[in-house]
Amino acid sequence: MIQSENTFLPDFSHIYVESEAKKYNLTRECIDRFPKATIVEILDYKSFFNRKNQDFQIQKYSIKLILAVKKPPFIYKGTDILQDGGFRNFYYNTPILNCLYNCDYCFLQGMYSSANMVVFVNQNDMKTAVEKELSNRLYPNDPLMLSISYNTDLMAFENILPITRSWINFANTKSDLRIEVRTKSALFNSLSDLSPSEKIIFSWTLSPERVVTNNEYNTPPLERRISAIQLAIKKGWKVRLCFDPVIIYDNWEQDYGDLLNKIIFSIDRKNIYDITVGVFRMGQEYFQRVRKSYPDSLEYYKNYVVEDKIMTVSQDERDAVKTLFTNKLRDYISEDKIYFWM
Amino acid sequence: MNFLFFTALKVEAIPIIRRFNLKKDLKTQLFIYKNISLFITGIGKQKTKVRLKSIIDLKINWDETILINVGIAGGDINKTKIGSIYFINKIIDEETGNIFLPDPLIKHNLEEITLTTVLNSVSDDSSNYNGLVDMEASAIFESISSYIPCHRLVFLKIVSDYMDILDWKSIDAESLIQEQIENIYQVINCYNNQNLSNRIILNNLEINLLKKYSEKFKLTKTQSLQLISLSENYKKNNGSIDGLELYFKKIPKSKQERNKGFDTIRKYLST
Repeated sequence: MIQSENTFLPDFSHIYVESEAKKYNLTRECIDRFPKATIVEILDYKSFFNRKNQDFQIQKYSIKLILAVKKPPFIYKGTDILQDGGFRNFYYNTPILNCLYNCDYCFLQGMYSSANMVVFVNQNDMKTAVEKELSNRLYPNDPLMLSISYNTDLMAFENILPITRSWINFANTKSDLRIEVRTKSALFNSLSDLSPSEKIIFSWTLSPERVVTNNEYNTPPLERRISAIQLAIKKGWKVRLCFDPVIIYDNWEQDYGDLLNKIIFSIDRKNIYDITVGVFRMGQEYFQRVRKSYPDSLEYYKNYVVEDKIMTVSQDERDAVKTLFTNKLRDYISEDKIYFWM
Repeated sequence: MNFLFFTALKVEAIPIIRRFNLKKDLKTQLFIYKNISLFITGIGKQKTKVRLKSIIDLKINWDETILINVGIAGGDINKTKIGSIYFINKIIDEETGNIFLPDPLIKHNLEEITLTTVLNSVSDDSSNYNGLVDMEASAIFESISSYIPCHRLVFLKIVSDYMDILDWKSIDAESLIQEQIENIYQVINCYNNQNLSNRIILNNLEINLLKKYSEKFKLTKTQSLQLISLSENYKKNNGSIDGLELYFKKIPKSKQERNKGFDTIRKYLST
């Protein structure tokens, strides 16, 4: 028998559409975007997306798209593991579940049993919920910070559906709303025609090229991320730099030192909103779920400590990360603009 | 990869048996040759469910098995063509309303369609069904999807009629399948991809060896689980757990000695 080679279907070869989602404009837009896709109607996305006995990593070879109608809640309060950046009214929402990228340290593979992507087509319901929360927020004198790419890399999807753009436009109509767009994408040029807004923070995750190659599968190379940052800064947007997670391996200090030298040399400090630094950390339950699927990544076969049900690297390693970043960034940015999450 | 065919009828099985030189194994009732086997489920959901219990009891290596259900089906006269083969992407159980969705990851050259599994054969009204109609697929999916992940469940149906047949004996199922046997073979070739199998770290030999070590050392349940988990880490990082043998040569004489010995093993596996 012939041994097949790369026989996987392309991403989004199939689009699964909830019956209730058919009437939404975003559904039509998405289906038009993939004219060759096979459309399969389903009743409820959860019965498909959450079903047992799926293989997250194999599904990454051929990601399917699910178009669904989100049911409440449309907005969530920030969790301890999610950086609030000093905002007391900190929330996140889920315009999309799952990600085009496949970073091996990502909690999504422990959170969801499927690697398929769910796009919620009723984005307006989410916006209405944000408006309501703006009126009821706990600290009325503080703005409401909304992270829109907690469970996905929304900007990586921008050439498929312009959802980031739509949220930026929405934020510009609300005086007390701030939005964080966390990304590894190099697709900033798809938004470069927008006027810069004080309400938006673009947070780019940066890693040494070795980590990009070994741990952040399908993501743009470091150089392209830096180019995207430079373009955003040139246009006048606020940029946060995220070194999170810093991956510990033989010679990591050299690689991260080189990375920081490159950033210091190529990105003007005046335009950096702040910097966040973190290490690998994952809820114990998610970690065990990923581990049970025997992923190829070595990150799940290392020795970790467990603190408050979070798997993370040792205190010594955390201290070493803190020392390296503090020393390297001392002359680049003031200390009160560096946040350590470890 | 291993391929396990399911057909409802013997006449549907004959072209597959012939194409892959399968021979009947009297003990298991499977037709087998090398990595390909075939099982006849019988007609209808109930019979299929009962018969599948016997195959589940066989210790098949599900980790590397791809199930392919091949059979004839009634087709919508406006959407299908008699003699054509279709790849099923959605199965509706008419009785329960449940929907079963295979997970098509692999390229194939067949047209895709929805299938409805019914309780009784349909011979007078095709207008109620969107796509194809059979009598077993939902029962197969429901019974087997606990053992085989959805991306290794494949349903191929060949249109035998437009749901307007009164005399079922007039359908030549064997010829219909025979006509499509090379398309079926092509699907097998496409699915013969080792990436589709379940990932493992420790093989059966290694797991059995660790069980023996646990028994020999009278390890507690927690220690036994730790031994497996640490061995997985060690093998993943170092490629082999052969070095463990040295640590299990001497049988401990007391709990204290066992615990001390296990601590040494834990340290070795954590390096």
